[in-house]
Amino acid sequence: MRLSKLMRPVLLAIASVVFLGYVLAPIGWLLSSSFQSEAEITSKPPHWIPHDPTLQNFSAIFQADKKVTYETRRQGDTATGGYIPSTAKNLLPAMRNSLIVAVIVVLLNLIVSVPAAYAMAKIRFVGRSSSIYLMLVTRVIPDIALVVPFFLFIRKLGLLDNLASLVITYLAITVPFSIFILLSYFESLPDELDKAARVDGCSRLQTLLRVFLPLATPSLVAVVLFTFLTSWNEFLLALMFTQTLASQTMPIVVASFTSDFTISFSFINAAGVLAIIPPVILAIMFERYIVSGLTAGAVKG
Amino acid sequence: MSAKSLAAARPRFPVSRYDQRSAMLFLLPMMAVLAIVAVFPVVYSFWVSLFDLKLTRPNRVPFVWFDNYARIFHDPQFWESVTRTASFTVMSVTAIMVIATLMALLLNEEFRGRRFLSAMLLVPWAIPYVANGLMWKWIYDSGYGALNGLLYQLDFIDKYMVWLGDPDKTLALVANAFVWKEVPLAAILLLVTMKSIPADLYSAAKVDGANVWQRLVHITLPSLRPGFALVIIYETMMAVRHFDMFFILTEGGPADATHVLAWEVYVETFRKLSFGTGSALAYVMALVTFLLAFSIIRTMGKKL
Repeated sequence: MRLSKLMRPVLLAIASVVFLGYVLAPIGWLLSSSFQSEAEITSKPPHWIPHDPTLQNFSAIFQADKKVTYETRRQGDTATGGYIPSTAKNLLPAMRNSLIVAVIVVLLNLIVSVPAAYAMAKIRFVGRSSSIYLMLVTRVIPDIALVVPFFLFIRKLGLLDNLASLVITYLAITVPFSIFILLSYFESLPDELDKAARVDGCSRLQTLLRVFLPLATPSLVAVVLFTFLTSWNEFLLALMFTQTLASQTMPIVVASFTSDFTISFSFINAAGVLAIIPPVILAIMFERYIVSGLTAGAVKG
Repeated sequence: MSAKSLAAARPRFPVSRYDQRSAMLFLLPMMAVLAIVAVFPVVYSFWVSLFDLKLTRPNRVPFVWFDNYARIFHDPQFWESVTRTASFTVMSVTAIMVIATLMALLLNEEFRGRRFLSAMLLVPWAIPYVANGLMWKWIYDSGYGALNGLLYQLDFIDKYMVWLGDPDKTLALVANAFVWKEVPLAAILLLVTMKSIPADLYSAAKVDGANVWQRLVHITLPSLRPGFALVIIYETMMAVRHFDMFFILTEGGPADATHVLAWEVYVETFRKLSFGTGSALAYVMALVTFLLAFSIIRTMGKKL
């Protein structure tokens, strides 16, 4: 008994170190190599911590006006032949596209899911259980199976290479999950609230907007976060629908860097770091909401 | 959906006409979206799958009944990709379950730094799959990657290896990258289930003299069944349909070693531009996913 009391902190410390190593080491390596020059990144064995940290990879992305041409792209690193591609300047516009799509999808998602979830949770009507079942079914359809009909549909609408194609399809894939989160939250609020508001003469819409919406803030935060992250991270549909910088999002441009084997990994990693900063910051800031939202959405689903 | 909400879903008639109308209005936007996400694709891709639609030959689109399905089922390539998808799924889900259970057990303890660990756990969950893909591509890099560097420094290997070039290892390496990103969600779900285990079960067991190990085996693990079921179902769905990592890390290679079902759909439709067979494949895949979900729910359901 005494022994196990002494052992406990030691075991917990060891387990914590292993845990953090597993979760953070890959990210740490990505970060470290994004601050290395081409010459340093190609050392064997690798420099786990940059000996001579540089911001050149990031500045190539942020200084789009400093034209990268065939003549200048090898600058500083002629020895290894690895270079910063002229497409480096595409990353910021692509991130802007990602941001625009994500914000629009978040807003439309709220407009669609909040009333639907409220109706399913608090209003008695014919067809209520079938609408809940329909939601369940849609969550099982794999996104790759949606790609072909979506593509033909988007092409028919003439929306290929247009941000609208992404807004429509992302809305479609995020709404079911949002409704699940909101539905389980609205259900947990007492029915008496609803009745009291109705007796006081509120219409259904007023009841939703004045009584339930203010109470639902935690689940609304969760919905906003999930929708934003899903849109920001989505790859497959963007790969199908986008062709030029008019609509290409961050994942597409980053993926195009990785498939070009002449591009230095130090640069690719800098792009990767920029891609993960917004979602990681959001996730850590709103950890509590995310965990409760995930639980509600998944357990109920 | 919880039993409660479905039981409550049966309305006691008569339903007020005003309620019925406002509910329909509230549901209208969602119905429009669901029509796009569920009804339309399911119907339309079935329709397309009955045609020999090739974008390389847009003016001649013959109706071929079920020829596309027949072609798929007679194609050995299809069955090989099914096998690969199955082994990718089994590897990934098993690893996710083991690692997530260990993580949840740790996070279920009270100690200083626990909050920090659970915040850090969200990092892999939050990052885009594309970033995850490039990160692992760089870790596995044959020239200067971290895996080679680490194993070399620890003297496990005497020369750098071409990890993603070895058909025997690639599927497992892609699975490893997939697992790293999926583990946090699984751990969070299992942790929530653990927290719902009543504390008196443990105190009663302690009174009876059960040690840590016995409490784990006889109380914690059996009580985790609903959580396990949930994680297995969810992660199986995710693994079967997974595409992004195959695109970034291997493009189906080397020598088709990672040519899984999702990759097959992609190649058929967007590289060979054969939308008819692509639709048929996607349809088969959606059906397989449904059947899988139902069979897992049924078998796990019996044990619950």
